[in-house]
Amino acid sequence: MKFIQVAYLIAASLVASPIAASEEEHSHDGHHDATTEHAQMSHEHHDAAGHEHDVHDHSSHDSPAQDPGDDVHDSHDAASAVTLTHTSEIDAALALGGEPVVADVMGVVCDFCALAMNKIFSKRDEVAAVYVDLDTKALSLVFAPGTSLSDDTIAELAVQAGYRIAAIRRGDAALGSAI
Amino acid sequence: MKPSLVVTLALTTALSTSLTAARPVSYTGGWTLIAESDRQSTGTLAHYTPSPKWSLGVRGEINRDHNYAIYSLHPTVLAKRWLGSNYQGNFYLHGGVGQASGVNGNPLGSQFAAFGGVMADWETRSLFVGYRSRYTDVGHFGDQFMQAVRAGFAPYEGDSGDLHTWLMLEVDHRPSDPDSVTATPLVRLFKGPLLLELGYNLTVNQPLMNFTYRF
Repeated sequence: MKFIQVAYLIAASLVASPIAASEEEHSHDGHHDATTEHAQMSHEHHDAAGHEHDVHDHSSHDSPAQDPGDDVHDSHDAASAVTLTHTSEIDAALALGGEPVVADVMGVVCDFCALAMNKIFSKRDEVAAVYVDLDTKALSLVFAPGTSLSDDTIAELAVQAGYRIAAIRRGDAALGSAI
Repeated sequence: MKPSLVVTLALTTALSTSLTAARPVSYTGGWTLIAESDRQSTGTLAHYTPSPKWSLGVRGEINRDHNYAIYSLHPTVLAKRWLGSNYQGNFYLHGGVGQASGVNGNPLGSQFAAFGGVMADWETRSLFVGYRSRYTDVGHFGDQFMQAVRAGFAPYEGDSGDLHTWLMLEVDHRPSDPDSVTATPLVRLFKGPLLLELGYNLTVNQPLMNFTYRF
């Protein structure tokens, strides 16, 4: 009988319905909305440095106070948004003309989290440099010259690492010069 | 067969094994090697993560108190993950099926073995709480249940690549043991792909050592 109980538990674990590894609690629904909007954005803004807020025609970006508990919306605010973390690898890739991207990542609280993100993103040929800053919970990417990854792809790669992207900034917005 | 898989299987079968791991499911395509030793068991686990939702490992462990070894396949499912801007929570289901056999002069013959349980944790960069349980059915070797809670804090917050240090206390409960409840203070050291835990069970005077390598 005990064995049956154990076998049932194992079977249940194996057939458990697929879950979103980066599912988030209800209070962060607003983050998800923000991510979706980024993922749905065209890439016109890649070359439209500093136009991130112009491209995003939705009021919460302009009025983060409407959702004061949503810290991802805070991160969209140009004045407080996390910008690219500069390491020697990042700076070298920037010097070659690569496009910079900063993504706010949910749940990266330890070095294994950072390792997972580094491993997943560094496998891509488009990624010339990658760094996860645990202090700012930000993923910094610089692409190889002439290449890029879409917001959707970045979001999917984060899921493959076990995490979720809350917001993505590119170009001058990622560098902090788009205010 | 990939060389990494051969090495993993060889390491696992050459050594013996035990209980649970930090982050038992890794990133897609990630391998994890774990060696563990607590007051009752010593063992190893090697697992591969085909998706961020589950991992499959091979585990070997020796129960030193009852003198038997279990060699098993060990799936772990990430049933739920909560991600916040400053925290992460996880709920896992884990189990295994394999074979148990007597060691250290134990004359009892081989026996089908199965185990299952849950793990849960919640952590920020400076606080950690976790729970794990396991029920093991090893027939004539004697069935066992265990559960443990752990809490800890990081005295400082290291960034990527830094040495991360945690101070933790684990309290475990094994109803069938004479010392059913014991306490183990431990230090967790984290750096890049390596994790090392060193502790000492104050109740039964046994060391705790856990090592994890992720690649």
